[in-house]
Order: sequence, then structure tokens, then C-alpha cells
Amino acid sequence: MAWYTVKRLIQGIITVWFIATATFWAMHEVPGDPFIGEKAVSPEVEANLKARWGLDKPPLEQYWIFMTNMLQGDFGISFAQESRSVNDIILERFPVSAILGILAIVFAGLGGVLYGALTALYRNQWPDVLIILLVIIGISVPSFVFASVGQLILVVINQILGFNVLPVAGWGDISHMLVPALVLGLGTMAFLTRLMRSSMLEIVSADFIRTARSKGVPAAQVFSRHQLRNAVLPVITVLGPSVASITTGGFVVENIFGIPGLGQSFVLAVQQSDYGVIMGTTVFYGAFLVLMVIIVDLLYAWIDPRVRLE
Amino acid sequence: MALLDVKNLHVEFTTYGGIVHAVRGVDFSVDEGETLAIVGESGCGKSVTVQSIMGLIPMPPGRITQGTAHLRGHDIIQSKVIDGKDIRGNFVGMIFQDPMTSLNPTMTIGAQIAEPLEVHRGYSHRQAMNRAAELLDMVQIPEAAKRARQYPFEFSGGMLQRSMIAMAIACEPSVLIADEPSTALDVTIQAQILDLVKSIQKDTGMAIILITHDLGVVARLADTVSVMYAGEVMEAGSVDDVFYRSAHPYTLGLKEAMPTNQTGRSRQLKPIDGSPPDLFSPPKGCSYAARCPHTMEVCLENNPNAFAMQDGHAAKCWLHHEECEVEAEDLYQA
Amino acid sequence: MSDIGTYSFRRAQVDLDREEISRPSLSYWQDAWYRIRTNRRTLASLFIVVFMVLVAAFGPILWHFDYDTQDLNQTSKPPWASRSMTVIEPYTPWLDRPAVERWSDTGAPADIQAIGFPSIEFVRLTWSPVQGATRYTIYRTIVDPEGGPLGLPLGNVIGESENSYEDRIDLEQRRYWYSVEATFADGTTAASTLPIDVAAAATLAGAIESGWIDADTDLQPGDTLRTPWHPLGTDYLGRDMLARLMKGAQISLFIGIVAPLLFILLGVVYGSFAGFIGGKTDALLMRFADFVVALPFLLFMILFKLVFGIGAGESGILPMLVALVLLSWPAAARLVRGQILQIREEGYIDASRLLGTKTPRLILRHMIPNTMGVILVTFTFAVPSTIFTEAFLSFIGMGVEPPIPSWGSMCNDGRKTMETTPHELIFPAIFISITVLAFNILGDGLRDALDARMRSTE
Repeated sequence: MAWYTVKRLIQGIITVWFIATATFWAMHEVPGDPFIGEKAVSPEVEANLKARWGLDKPPLEQYWIFMTNMLQGDFGISFAQESRSVNDIILERFPVSAILGILAIVFAGLGGVLYGALTALYRNQWPDVLIILLVIIGISVPSFVFASVGQLILVVINQILGFNVLPVAGWGDISHMLVPALVLGLGTMAFLTRLMRSSMLEIVSADFIRTARSKGVPAAQVFSRHQLRNAVLPVITVLGPSVASITTGGFVVENIFGIPGLGQSFVLAVQQSDYGVIMGTTVFYGAFLVLMVIIVDLLYAWIDPRVRLE
Repeated sequence: MALLDVKNLHVEFTTYGGIVHAVRGVDFSVDEGETLAIVGESGCGKSVTVQSIMGLIPMPPGRITQGTAHLRGHDIIQSKVIDGKDIRGNFVGMIFQDPMTSLNPTMTIGAQIAEPLEVHRGYSHRQAMNRAAELLDMVQIPEAAKRARQYPFEFSGGMLQRSMIAMAIACEPSVLIADEPSTALDVTIQAQILDLVKSIQKDTGMAIILITHDLGVVARLADTVSVMYAGEVMEAGSVDDVFYRSAHPYTLGLKEAMPTNQTGRSRQLKPIDGSPPDLFSPPKGCSYAARCPHTMEVCLENNPNAFAMQDGHAAKCWLHHEECEVEAEDLYQA
Repeated sequence: MSDIGTYSFRRAQVDLDREEISRPSLSYWQDAWYRIRTNRRTLASLFIVVFMVLVAAFGPILWHFDYDTQDLNQTSKPPWASRSMTVIEPYTPWLDRPAVERWSDTGAPADIQAIGFPSIEFVRLTWSPVQGATRYTIYRTIVDPEGGPLGLPLGNVIGESENSYEDRIDLEQRRYWYSVEATFADGTTAASTLPIDVAAAATLAGAIESGWIDADTDLQPGDTLRTPWHPLGTDYLGRDMLARLMKGAQISLFIGIVAPLLFILLGVVYGSFAGFIGGKTDALLMRFADFVVALPFLLFMILFKLVFGIGAGESGILPMLVALVLLSWPAAARLVRGQILQIREEGYIDASRLLGTKTPRLILRHMIPNTMGVILVTFTFAVPSTIFTEAFLSFIGMGVEPPIPSWGSMCNDGRKTMETTPHELIFPAIFISITVLAFNILGDGLRDALDARMRSTE
């Protein structure tokens, strides 16, 4: 397990290096300039500004500076909000996105496993049919529609009751998080439910389930110890990609619900051509996703001994 | 009354294509220390027979429509519980055909052997794990204590099957049902496994129901044999009676289709032409009639009862009817 | 069996060959087509997909509304909105204000009434003033205030004997509650309320200018005209929703189908090359594919959009296409490589090789046909996810540039008015959902039909 962890971490570091490199060269190719466009500046001022952000150096040197800074955990300086480091912005914004994302993935994961198990238990009975119907909706409706409709429903509920059951937008305590996290997790939950269902149906006729029953193991224990644990395995393998899709969904959900997360700040940075924040956030998110995939892989290895020991 | 006694068992499956009459009136019984072999080709209903008694076929679509099964006089079709205890794993142990897929891939071998002890005997996990190591040692797995902490994918097929046996006998059952225990293993391992089962039986005196399509295995292990075809027992009796005084054309056909290594005799293997009847709509006469070399008009119209001969030897064949002109003895020469 | 004697024990003839194979043999594709035809869900989704493609291809040509023609007098009209409109005189300032006929004796402004025809052009109010009032404040609410809060004032008229007010602020065709509140010298107030139904109206010149009627139509003020039919309503700029949705279908389906075609093609070439070459090259190529997979997809889609830069008047479709291809090919490459590696080991390849088949023919006859099914299924699943991506990017304003509509950007526009006119959000959302759903179900059906190993357990 230790060797496996080290191996995955080394792979992860190389991957993050690739992401940072790709980000740097992509940004380097971006036409235009953050200083021009908005306002006309004199050549001297422009030269000064460029010198300040190191844009006057040859590309390879810029790349070297960029990479060494990244290695030291320095993601650069914002071009639009002067004197703010990208680290600052990430430090301020990321926890918000992380809480929202974690809540969403918990919703999605628990819901997916629970509903998937339910559909398999009640195969072709009404709970199955109902959940499958909801799954179809969940898979086909984009997250921004869920978010908009969720907000609309919240507005209507608040209007009917005459007081705010839950706030419609903003950020603060748990009451602000529930609806955004739910709409953010819905698509993933639907996907996981579907996966869990087919996985359960496959496992239910597995030979080792018959073996467990032949040992006289009570049904509840067969379900929890033998069936569920094995059925959850494929669900765990897709949790990594799910983190990525929930992160992506976070971009709109944060914007719609006015949540001051990293997604919102990234969209703003793109609108302001704030290259510093764009680069920093991209590399940070890339590294974060790589880390998530590694964590999920380790989790998988912990549950499935076949991966761990190979 | 015998230890396990099954009478007139009927099992059906409801499928999209209609109802499959998988088991149609099977009788058998087994006593302590005795080995009963149920033989027959694939799909003849031999596995369904025992699995339905043990409540291991999914219901629905499966259904026991008729028949009784008694373990020590208790009806085990109505209830799998005797004296407040589930018979499965406790009074009856089972081992299955494919040890690779029959063990839970995410549990250690030890934990899986320990499970019935915890469930039926109330062992603590620690006690049960210790006992599991002893059992692994008993089925001749080296370094049993270490092996108990390993997972199925770390075991070879033969070792997995030994582990299955250890698991099945953990609670010292009075009946061991072995559903094609050696089919998925290679020949040398097969012999070892069968010897192991035999020696355990010698020590514990349990009854064994051996399900197989391998007549060699039957000859090696069994005391009595039931030959199944298309969901019915065609012939039953002691190994000697069934093998050397075969009373049913199907048994003869099986024997001729089997290779022998008798020196000095060379003969061609003779396959049985045709294929088993469609169990969606079984024929109204004898189900072997379509493939039988001795088919008579009566066979196509009426399904025979079992004709009893000496020492519990019985065959479901019209040839044994008193009006039949072909003498049953003629069959042996065939 | 007592009736045994009635049967004969004579030998019977049994025909062993009476079984025969009744099923005709089908080729792989015939079999697949048979499975698709007999699966109702798959067939239905296939029809929806074909229908959507037809709508995208021919809808904008056939439909007489343009996707970017604005009609600012017809903004945010839901499909069920009334199309009747009263023709009114051109607006002239309200000069002949009524004189005070009588004073209120209730202590609050009384006898509120509308003068003339209350339409979306103007509402003219008059009332009986109250003695002692210093000013009158006029409020307009869309629900009956029932003595409760009146919200923000519409305007003030100062003076005890003022008795009229003209409202021309953003009137809509609906019922309003107008309240007139008198404020007295000591600061106390008293108000009265009157509900007024405001009618849709247009001047003849305005209607002609908007293109609702022909210039030579003979209509008099007071007559009713019918505004053009927008079956799915209009958006916040008065553009026809149906025209925009059909144009949006063009954009979404174009990107949703062309991008997967290209990136799967690239993936197939890359993957089969890697799989065929094998060894170190293969390992290196696949490592690179792993890296590309690890890039944060959405962020890089946005980065690429910045890299390509979009000039004025460009649609932004091409940059999105290129970005999608650059980022999405590895999945197909991995899949095809796996298939090639697997097929390479199959006995029939060896057999074919032993018979002297040359490599190109081997690829053409064995490799490609045997991976075709998997590739087709991958393609069918790639389409809805690409449509999702496009919609998502357009929703956050990083996709197709306005005024070109895309379902995603239409959802974003519709969101702003969803509380009052939800149809602007709901219709594009339904179009996305149904299309994505149809492609997903079609993908499931194709997978079941084409590949027994991938068959789902549903």
C-alpha cells in the first residue's frame, strides 16, 4: 500500500508539471494584453508594468520563473486586483468552493448509493420505476437549469410562506449551502444511481452471494457485507471524474447563487483578462483534481485488495 | 427415516418465454456416512434440485410447486430453520463449482470461513478467525494462519476449493452438498480435492451429496447414484447396480459416451444422438424417447413410473414392464 | 397406470432430425438493426434525434421569423399571451387636465378613475382631492395592497387641489392597483386604491413600423389588430423564440455532432497507431494521452477560447470546435487501442495472417469492422456530453457569441426573467434535455444492439 501510494504520488507530480506547462504555453499564446484594451497607456508605463510582471523577459526565462514559483507554492499576482497575490485569492475563495463541492459530492455519493441500492432491491416495482424516471431527468437536464429552477422554487416557497425558509442567494452559514449543493450534486447523483443499480443487479446473481446464502448468513448481512461492498466498487472508480464534473458545475452554481467561490472568481478573471488569476487558478485546480483522483484511487485500493497488492 | 429425504420434487421457472419445468418429480435420500451422487448432463436439473431445497434459487422466477424435503424429519421446504437455527451452513454445508467466483473478492479467506461460525455458533470474530486457521490447516493449506489473512485472488484454484470445503465444514454439518466440486479444476487437483472430501467424511461421518457429470468421480466416491435426465431421475441405486447392471437406456448411453482406459479393449466412443427435450413443454411420454434406441409406441404416449428391482435399484423405463417383450437383461449386452 | 394395456409395446420410429434451425442467420449489422427496430425506446429516441436534425437543418429556412430580428414592443411574451391589441391614437401630451369638480369628504383621496382608455401607452388618473393635503403620492402595485405597504412611489404631485396623474412608466398588459396617497401638513397620510386593467395597444404607425400589419391596412383607432404569432413566445428583446431555438439547434447539433466526429476520428487514428506499433512508442503515446486527460477540461476550454481570440462578428464556433477536439480525443484513443490490442491476440487474426493476408487488408477487414460497434457507441454517448459542454460554456458566456443563439446562452438570458416569464428559460432547457436524453437512450440501445459484452443489465 505504501509503495502504491508513493507510485501514485510521483505520477501525480509529473501530471501536475504537465498541466502547469500546458497552462503556461497556452497563456503565452493568448493574443492581446491585460494592460491595453481597457485604457491607452504610454509606452513607458506599459514597459514598467511589463517589467513588474516579468513579461519583458524571454519566454523560456518566464517559464523558468513561473515553474520555480509554482514549485514554491507561489501562484503569482493578480493583474486586475493589484497587490493581491493569487495565493490570497485562492486562500479566500477556495474553501468556499471546497465546502460546496464536498457537500455536493456527499449528497451525490450517498444519494447515488442509496437510490441505486433501492432500485435494485425493488427491481421493477414502483420505487425502482420512480427513481429510474428521476435518474433520466437528472442525466438529461444541465446543472445550470437545475440551479435556476432550484432558485426559482426557493423564491416561490419563500413567497408563499411569507418568510425566508432558506436564503435565495449569498453565502454564510449552512442554510446558504443546502440548495446550491443539492442542485450541484443532482446530475452526479443520477449518474451514480444508474451505475449503482446496474452494479447491484450484476452482483445479486454473483456466485459468491449464493455462497454467502448457502452459509446461512442472514439476508441483511449478505446485503451489507457481501453485496453492497462489492457493488460500491465501480461507483468509487468514477468518484474521481465526478469530483471534476462537480467542480465544473460549481462554476455556474456559484454564479447563479452569488457564492464567492473560486469558480466565480475565475469567470470574473476571464472577463477581466486577469491572466495572473487565470494561470494560477488553472494550475491550482489541475493539481487539486489530480490529488482528488489519487485519493479516490487510494480509497479504491483500500476497499479492493486486488488493486492494493498488485 | 433417512437423514435427508426428498420426495416428488417439482421446480419451475417463470421466464419471458414461458414456464420452464426444470425439475419434475425427483426423489432421493441419503443417510449418515453415505455418499449419493447425482449425475446427468448439463441442464438436466441436478443443481437446481439441491439449490431449490436449500433455498438458493431466486424465487421468483423459481418456484417449488410440489414435493417434500425432510432433514432429520423436519420439513425444510417450508422453513430453513430447525430449532431456531438456519440449516444452511449449520446442518448442511455446500461447495460450488467455480471457486474463483464463489468467494467474495473483497473479504479475506479467513473471514469468509469464520462467517458461519460467527453466525451459527456465536463465536467472537477472534475465536472464529483462529478456528478458520485450524480449518485451513485441516484442508492441507500450508501456513494456514498467514493464508487466512489473504484474499481470494491470492489463492490458486485448488486452494480456493480447499478453502470452500473448510468453509462448508466449519460448523460440522451432517450433510455436505458438493455441486460439481472439481469441474473447474485440473485433473491432478481434482483427485486431491476428492480425496480430501472422502477423508473428511471418514472422520466426521457426514453424508455427501455429490453433483457431477463425471462418471469417474462417481465411481471413485459414491455409494449410491441417481441418474437425472430432463428434470427426472431415470435410474437410481447402488454404484455397482447402476454401473454394472444398468437398467435404463440413458445410463447405458452415458457409459458408452465415456472414455475408458481398460487395456486390451479398444472401442469407439458413441455419442447420444439428438438433444434433451425442451423443458418449456416436456413431452407427454418418456422424455428420453426421442433419443432412445429402444423406443416403443408406449414410450411416446406415457411417462413410465419407476420400476423397482432388488436392493433399491430402480429405473424409469417401460422395458421393465411385464408386457414388454424385450428382456431387460438384453440391455446389458448392448 | 392401469390403462397400460391399451398401449402397444411395438418398436416405434423416431425421427431424430425433426429439430431444425428455424432462425435465419443474420449478419452483425442486420442483427443490430433488428435489435434497434424491436426496441421501442431506442426507436423513439432515434426518431427524436432525426426530428431534431431536420428541425435544425430546415427549420430556420422555413420559418418566416429571423433569429435576430428584435421587436421591442413584443418583449418577453409567453406563447399564451393575448395577441389582440387595440389601435389607439398617436400619443399627445395630456393638456386638458380635468378641473376639480368636488372635494373628497372621506379624509382620503376619493373617486379615483381612469380617464380615457388605459393602455400600455399611458394610464391617466384623476381623483377628488382632499382639503388640507400638501401633496399626493401615486403608487402602482401588481397585487392588491389591501391597506398594506405600497412599495416605492411612482410619482408625486404637490398642491392641495391637484387631482390628476399620468403614468407612462413600463406599462404592461395586466391589472394594476393604483393607490393615491394624500399627505397632510402634520405628516399624516391617507390613501385610496383602484384596480385598473391595462390593455395592450399600439398606434397605427407603430404597428406598421413593427411589421405587425401592412402599411395599407385599413384600421381605425379603437379597432383591434392581431400581433404576429410566436408559437413559443418571444425573448427579452422581442425575438421569436422558435426561430432562435431552431437556430440554436443548428449550433448545438453542429458542435455536438461535428466535434465528436473529429475527436473520435483523431482518437481512432492515434489509438490504433499506438496499439498497432506497440512497445515503447505505444507506452509513450498513451502516457501523453493520460496527461491530456488530466487537464482540467472546462478551464482549458476557456483558456483555448482566449488563445484563439474572437474578433468582432465572429461566432466563436470554430475555436470551440478546435478546443473540444484538442481536449477530448484521449478517451477514444484509449478505447480503440485497447480493442486493437485485444483483437491482435484473437485466433482469427493469426489464422488470417497464416493465410498470407497483408497488414492493410488485415486492418481493413478485421480490425476496423470489429471496433466499429464500440466506436459508434462511443460516438453516440459523446454527442450528448458535447452538447452539454457547449450549453454550459455558452451559459457562462464563454461559448457562442451573441447574437448567434445557442441553447445554453438562451437559458442564461431566460434566467434573468425567469420569475416573471419562465418560458424563456424553460423552452431552451426542454430542447437541451430532450436532445440529450434522446442521444443517451439511443446510445444505450446501440450498445445493447452492437455489443453483447457491453449489454446493460436494465
